[in-house]
Amino acid sequence: MNADGTIVARKLCKSYGRHQVLRDIDLTVAAGEISCIIGPSGSGKSTLLRCINGLETIDRGVLKVNGEDFGYVEKDDAYHAVRPKRLAQQRTRIGMVFQQFNLFPNMTAESNVMSGPVLVKKKNREASREQARELLAKVGLEGCGHKYPAQLSGGQQQRVAIARALAMEPTIMLFDEPTSALDPERVGEVLAVMRDLAGNGMTMLLVTHEMGFAREVADEVLFMDEGIAVERGDAREVLGNPREKRTQAFLERVL
Amino acid sequence: MSQLLAEEKKRITPKRPRDYVTWAVAIAIVAGLVWTAVTNENYRWPVVFSYFTTQSILNGLLITLVLTAVSMALSTLLGLVLAVMRMSHQRPVSGLAQLYIAFFRGTPVLVQLIFWFNIAALYPHISIGIPFTDISTPVNVNAIMTPLTAAVVGLTLNQAAYMSEIIRGGFASVPRGQHEAAESLGMSGFTKLRRVIIPQTMPSVVPATGNQVIGMLKETSLVSVLGVADLLNSAQSIYARNYQTIPLLIVASLWYLIMTLVLSVPQSMIERRFSRSTRARLTPAATSAEPGAGQPVPATRESLL
Ligand SMILES: Nc1ncnc2c1ncn2[C@@H]1O[C@H](COP(=O)(O)OP(=O)(O)OP(=O)(O)O)[C@@H](O)[C@H]1O
Ligand SMILES: [Mg+2]
Repeated sequence: MNADGTIVARKLCKSYGRHQVLRDIDLTVAAGEISCIIGPSGSGKSTLLRCINGLETIDRGVLKVNGEDFGYVEKDDAYHAVRPKRLAQQRTRIGMVFQQFNLFPNMTAESNVMSGPVLVKKKNREASREQARELLAKVGLEGCGHKYPAQLSGGQQQRVAIARALAMEPTIMLFDEPTSALDPERVGEVLAVMRDLAGNGMTMLLVTHEMGFAREVADEVLFMDEGIAVERGDAREVLGNPREKRTQAFLERVL
Repeated sequence: MSQLLAEEKKRITPKRPRDYVTWAVAIAIVAGLVWTAVTNENYRWPVVFSYFTTQSILNGLLITLVLTAVSMALSTLLGLVLAVMRMSHQRPVSGLAQLYIAFFRGTPVLVQLIFWFNIAALYPHISIGIPFTDISTPVNVNAIMTPLTAAVVGLTLNQAAYMSEIIRGGFASVPRGQHEAAESLGMSGFTKLRRVIIPQTMPSVVPATGNQVIGMLKETSLVSVLGVADLLNSAQSIYARNYQTIPLLIVASLWYLIMTLVLSVPQSMIERRFSRSTRARLTPAATSAEPGAGQPVPATRESLL
């Protein structure tokens, strides 16, 4: 069975020192599904997302991405960390979009988008340039390829960042509050790109405070609080008719 | 006399006595210095001029320049290696780098130079070979540790400790998110450093390195004690014969001064260029709806892709 584009997490645990940030998190994302993680600040949403592409390591629990154990191989006694090269290879199949865009300021928009294919996948430069142009056009930035990140607005930078992640042809896209650092009038253009992506069947896991967007595109919603997956289920159910008290209280505050 | 309207009157700060006094004192000091330089026969300016472009002085000048360039180039490379080691998560690796830096910054360069020149007293013979094979060549340390090699080795090893701290500072100025973005694309550690991180360290590393070059140029004068025929040593050789000590020291000083002044021109250009940082948000156009008017101000050329 092809498990591309799936995420399965069981009883994920993660601590910083004595502070446990993730407590037995369960999460399943099916291929092509859009999942949103919501919850108050400090509840561990970013940490969960960062564990899924290896920016943080988990202490315990099962994590399968694209059907494979991520970052570790299961042995009789324990999970053993894979070599950096193997980890890097697994990461190439997961796109990550950051709150602060994190474009490379020393490269033009086009070079940013090309950086993955050329520097990591060692693809042909001209073909990658062509692909970068197409992706930039797709996110509505035709003709902006020669600009440096500092010359672009926040919303434009974030769209370049999405194009950069897409250039690796990932099976899964992770978004960590992609619109939180944007001016309100810039949020829409980024959400439009993400909506488009969702429509094309990309598996997406996103942390967001945009409840309207979550309600519109999400299949599933996970509500986290203090490192616990409080409630998980159908997006309309959780957002419209939450079962848990904590979810209700949170939604009342943000809506 | 036409009466000015109050609204049209300029606002001025009347000069006070202190404004004239500072000028007067400064002029007096400079004039005094020039006066004694001109009138004191002991300066022997004709001697200064006659030796200024003498062949052996020019040769010394060349050696000083070559020594500066070679030592700076080698120490920058070694400094980069040390900086990367210093930031390693492997304690033994970062510990070794720390030890190196502490040792070479904690002892005087002059002592280090003399030490390397006499290293044969510690290790008269070493043999360079490939471990676990019979291939090896014995090396007579005394023969290879000429004054010039000792000078290059001493200056390089010392300077590398300072360069590594400069480069480490450059690395520290790159936000964590840049590492994360590169890693999430699956870049290897080496590619990440070379293509993403190191180019971004340039705005802080290049100007600081420029200062080190100017410092190194003067520091090379220390190698004269080893008998390397650099600028200072060449001047010394001449006055050892003709006892024109002061004029020849002036010749050497003037050349050092000229070289540092010449170097300070590109240095200040570099500083100005890099102080308009890339990371700073640019023109208002960059945030407006149509960002076409943004000025391209990349501090580091996009040389990579
Ligand atoms: N590198 C770290 N070292 C120590 N503690 C950390 C670290 N990163 C995060 N934490 C802690 O882990 C907890 C969860 O952080 P996380 O960033 O995942 O929260 P979040 O839900 O994304 O919050 P926000 O909505 O503010 O982004 C917080 O209490 C935070 O202080
Ligand atoms: Mg967060």
